[in-house]
Order: sequence, then structure tokens, then C-alpha cells
Amino acid sequence: MAQQEKKKSRIFDYFTEKEEQFAGGVAWCPGCMLELTARFVPKVLGKDIVLVGCPGCSAPVFYGQNLGSWHRLTYYSCLMTGVASSATGISRYFRRIGKDVTIVCFTGDGCAADVGFQPLSGAAERNEHIIYICYDNEGYMNTGYQRSSTTPLGASTSTTPAGISSKGKPTPAKNMPLIMAVHGAAYVATATLSHLEDFAKKLLKAKEKKNEGFVYIHVFSPCNMGWRIESNSSVQVCRMAVRTNYFPLWEAENGKFRLTHETTNPRPIQEFTRQIRKFAHLKEDDINKLQQVVNQKYAFIKALCDIGN
Amino acid sequence: MKAQKGQVRVITGNGTAAYAAMLCRPDVVTSYPITPMSEVAEQLSAFHANGILDAEMVEVEGENSAMNVVAAASLTGGRVFTATSSWGLAFMYDAVQQASGFRAPVVMAIANRETPGILAVSGGQQDIVSARDTGWIQIIVEDCQEIFDTIIMAFRLAEDYDIQLPVMVNYDGFYLSYLAQAVEIATQQDIDRFLAPLKRQPQRPKLVPGEPLSCGTHGIEIGFVELRYKHCIAMERATTKLDEIDKKFGEFFGRSYGGQIEEYRTGDAEIIVIASGGAAGTAKTVVDTKRNEGIKVGLIKLRLFRPFPRKRLIEALRGKKAIGVIDRSVCFGWNRGPTYVELRALSPEFGVVPMLSYIDGLANLDITTSHIERVIDETHAAARGKPYQEVTWIPLEE
Repeated sequence: MAQQEKKKSRIFDYFTEKEEQFAGGVAWCPGCMLELTARFVPKVLGKDIVLVGCPGCSAPVFYGQNLGSWHRLTYYSCLMTGVASSATGISRYFRRIGKDVTIVCFTGDGCAADVGFQPLSGAAERNEHIIYICYDNEGYMNTGYQRSSTTPLGASTSTTPAGISSKGKPTPAKNMPLIMAVHGAAYVATATLSHLEDFAKKLLKAKEKKNEGFVYIHVFSPCNMGWRIESNSSVQVCRMAVRTNYFPLWEAENGKFRLTHETTNPRPIQEFTRQIRKFAHLKEDDINKLQQVVNQKYAFIKALCDIGN
Repeated sequence: MKAQKGQVRVITGNGTAAYAAMLCRPDVVTSYPITPMSEVAEQLSAFHANGILDAEMVEVEGENSAMNVVAAASLTGGRVFTATSSWGLAFMYDAVQQASGFRAPVVMAIANRETPGILAVSGGQQDIVSARDTGWIQIIVEDCQEIFDTIIMAFRLAEDYDIQLPVMVNYDGFYLSYLAQAVEIATQQDIDRFLAPLKRQPQRPKLVPGEPLSCGTHGIEIGFVELRYKHCIAMERATTKLDEIDKKFGEFFGRSYGGQIEEYRTGDAEIIVIASGGAAGTAKTVVDTKRNEGIKVGLIKLRLFRPFPRKRLIEALRGKKAIGVIDRSVCFGWNRGPTYVELRALSPEFGVVPMLSYIDGLANLDITTSHIERVIDETHAAARGKPYQEVTWIPLEE
């Protein structure tokens, strides 16, 4: 028996061995989690993927608006209303000519949860063989930090600003990954940048499961500008979102739910919200309401995971 | 070489559209049912279910997705087909403009229908008029056989290397969509033969995994302007290209339609009536009647609505003494028919003569022979210097 080496995380390999698909100095904001996600995805899924995207934070780089700094992936751009449906067309044609291609939709929550939701839901129901990655920055960050249906309760955005008669967004976020999971998709998972190994495993699983049907990955992706957080703290915010159970990490494979990272002794939600100035106006009472939302959401996913055990 | 005689079937306009599309061997087909074209979706699904249509069939959840699916599949290299009507066309409006801007050679059949209000479940051409500036080629046909033949020609036109533009093939909803007529169904072998020249052309640019190529990223600044310009020039080329394709179709299959416009007894005519779609068929019989009465009238059937067949129309209308234009839709802000308004822009080139706009056939109301007789009589009188009314809403004056 060969001597067992100390197990090293494969994550390092992705960064040292795999070719970088994006040029340096691309037009994303400093500290952007979407940028790290975009750079990471082709490292795991390979450079032969076909990306499908739309206007949004990812657009200026994907479209090549800044011609001096771009990427070298195959990219199909369409409108926000047409991402999952365009990916369907691409996937069906490759199936028709017998070519196995990994089609990756890459959009924000504005497309996935709002204006592009109908085709996304349709593609999931038809069980199209595509991977849909939603980087959730909890609002329309590219157009100036407006609310979306995944903006959390109490968040101050430019269309739900905190004021004398407003405490920010009056309703909780739509539970987008859960909605996708109950479509009966082949594979649905949540992921974030503070837990890269977990993210990588889920991407690899996605590549395998897309041969069976629809895959949806919901990536928690803080926006430094819109949420008003320090540019060097985005990964910490991701980590705290997991530790407070604000963003639980789970997967659902063929309808079977599983927590991929269980938080022992979850931290109170203040430890998350206090890093983010979009919550700065919230009083104790408001924070308690957000805590309740977090607890309920977590209890719900926990119960779903317990069904399988 | 001549095509074999095809089997003759009595078949509806919708059924014909589905048949023609199937025989063109599309790779990806999608269509979302809407009155009055639902039968196209059903028929294509039935062909697929029975193994006759070998294609990827996508049962989308709305028209917007239908257009996105086919546009993307087209830019990936496939031959694609879809169909819609009225609100369906409106619901895919963003994707429709994208398909043409991306130069995706999609072929789409449209059973024309009115739009406003849920009770406007009735024929009319307002749907395509509202889409005339989307950068698509728009052809309007008269009967079921022409639906069949034009869909085949539409693939040849759309996918031509010099064109690469999407094409709408329009027929009257409720009238042609549900009307069964005898249609000669060309054989698969002959349709393959007719479309074969496309295979000998250079390949269109397409999405290839692993190649650093972006599809649909329409340029910025001067790059954008250049693409717009090329789009416009390709539309210009589509005019004579349609004439060529129609001629070749005629030589091979023995049926042709005049290409951009069909001229009926126009040569020695003093006055001209212009109509499109099914109404042009009715107009031909009325022209015959009026000729027997001694009125020198001819008909121009407008087939190509976009690009507008400027050159052919100028040639056909030069020296005529008066023109009556029947529109099955309105041009808002002008209170005239859209074809009429566009023709007025050409009048300095064919001669400033009395031009009469007739709005008729809205909301499934018939464009009857007596309506067309009236159009001819009034145009004839105008040609003789009698005073005339510029715009007439025929149904409101009956």
C-alpha cells in the first residue's frame, strides 16, 4: 500500500492547474462575488461549455463591452426574458446532431426570479438538459440597486428605500432554489463562495446530472456596492450568511433533499446584518422579524431533508 | 428538370403550413397554440408523435419562449420553424427583434388576427403591421397552395447566405387558417432538391462549443451601426432574391406567384387596385367582371410587405391614372391603411395621381365582391377627374 498523503483540497488544483478563461482587469467591481463565481465555474465545468446570459451585472464582461478585457468562452447573449428558452434551443439542436455539450445559463436573480422566471420554470418542467446558475445579489444591482423578488425583508434598496414611513422592503425574499427544487428538476443546489469545496462538488454533480435533466444552482452573491459592504469583506459576508442559517447550503437530487453543510450553533442574524449597510436602519424589533423569517426558512428546508432520512 | 406531380389533398391553411414545414426537414420546431393557428401546433405534434417529423419538438410555455428557442437553435446551426398569431406575435416582440438583429434565419407562419381586446378573436392584418419595423421579411399569401409553396420558398430565402434573415409567412386567420382547399403536396424528394442549393453555400456563422465566439452580442457604437446597415442591405437584397426564388420554384414545380408582387391584368390597365392575402383572390374575379364592363382595371397583389417592393411597384404603377388601395388594418396616426401610406411615399416616382385608401375586412368582416366593385368604381371615377374621398372605412359606410 502506498503511503497515504495528507488529503489536500482539490480546490487548489482548480486555481493552479486550470486555464483561466477571463482576462485580468475585467469590468466588474472590486470584491465582486459574481466575478469569482464566473471565474470559478469554467474551472470546474471545463472551457468547452456554452454560456447563455443576458443584460445584468455579468453582461459588460460576457458581452465584451470592454474590448480590452474579455473572456474566451463560447457565449450566447439574449434578453432577460429569453435565457432558459434560448438555452433550450441550443441544447435541443446539439441533441439533434448528437453532440454532448454543457450549456450553462448564468444570470442574476432579476432574470431568474423575476422577468425571466417563466421560461426558467418552463425549461425546468420540460426537464431540459441545461445547467442554470443564478448569482443572487438580492436585487437589480446593475441598474442601480433596485429591489427584486429575492431582496430580503427590511433591506433598503433604491426602490424600497428606508425612510420615515418605510423600513425597507416590506416582504421577505422569494425562496427561489426551493421553488426550482419542487419543479422536480434533476438537481438543485445552493452554494456560495465561502464554501468553495462544497460549490465545486455541486458543479461536478451538476455536470453529471444535466445528462438526466434540468439543473439549477443558486449562488449567494453579495454585492459590495448595492449592499454597501467593504470590498474586502464579501467572502466573510458569504460565510456569515451560512453560519447564521440565512443561506443554508443544501442540495436536492431527484427530489431528495440533503443539507450539505449543517451549522452547529447558528449565529444570530445580527452578526450577518451588521456587516451590511442596507440593513443599517433596522431596529431590534425589525431584526427579530428577519430572524423569524430565517428560522422558518431553515426549519422548512431541514424538514424536507429529514423526509429523506 | 421538373418536379414530380405531388399528391393532392384537401387540407386547411393551418394543416398546409404544418405539412410544408415538416417537409422542409426542420431540426427544431416549437409553437405555442393560439387561435386561429393552434392546429399548426397540433398537427406538427401529431407528425412528431407518429414519427413522420424527425425533429426536436419543444412544447414551450409561451410564445416568447417559442421565438427564443428557435432563434437560438438557428444560431447554433439548425433549421427551425415556428408559428403564431396576433397576441402571440406581440408576446414575442422582444425576441422577434432579437432574431432579426442576430440574423437568425427563422421561418414563422402567422395566421393573421386582430389584437385589441379579448373579443378580437377575428381576422385582420394588424398583427403584422405592428411588427413591420422589426427587421423581418414579411410575405403575405392568398390561398392554401400558396401557403405551402411559400413556406418552402421562405426557407430558401431566409437561409440564403446573402440574406440570413427571418421570414414571416402570413395568411388570413379564420379565413385561410380554417378553410380547406385542394393542395398539391410536393414530394419529399423534390422539396429536398429545391432546398439543396443552400447546402452548397458557405456555412453561416454559428455557435461552436470551445470557440471563443459570442453570438448575439450586437456591436457597440460604430460596430452596431455597421450591423444595422448590413441588415438593411440584406433586406434590400431580399427583394430580387424572392423574385429569383419564385422563378426557380415556378420552373421546377410549375407554380409561381410573381415574387414580390403579383400583377393581374395590369399591363394595359388605366387604374389599379392593390390588395393582399385572400382579398386579392376575390379582387381578381371582380377585376374580370369590371373588364367585361369595359373598365380597364388591373390588380396588384402585394406579396412582400417587408422589405417593401418599391422598385416593382413603381414599375407597375407608372403611368396609371388612379389607384385604390385596400388594407385589412389601419395605420394609427394617419387614419389611412398602412399599404396606402407606404405607397404615397412612392407616388413622386410613379406619378401623382388620385389615390384612395379603403379600410375593410377588419374583425373578420368580409371584403366582398360588392366592396371591391365599389373600390373600382370610385377609383375609376377619380381617374376621370371626379371628386373623391381619400379614405373610406367601408364597413362603416354600408
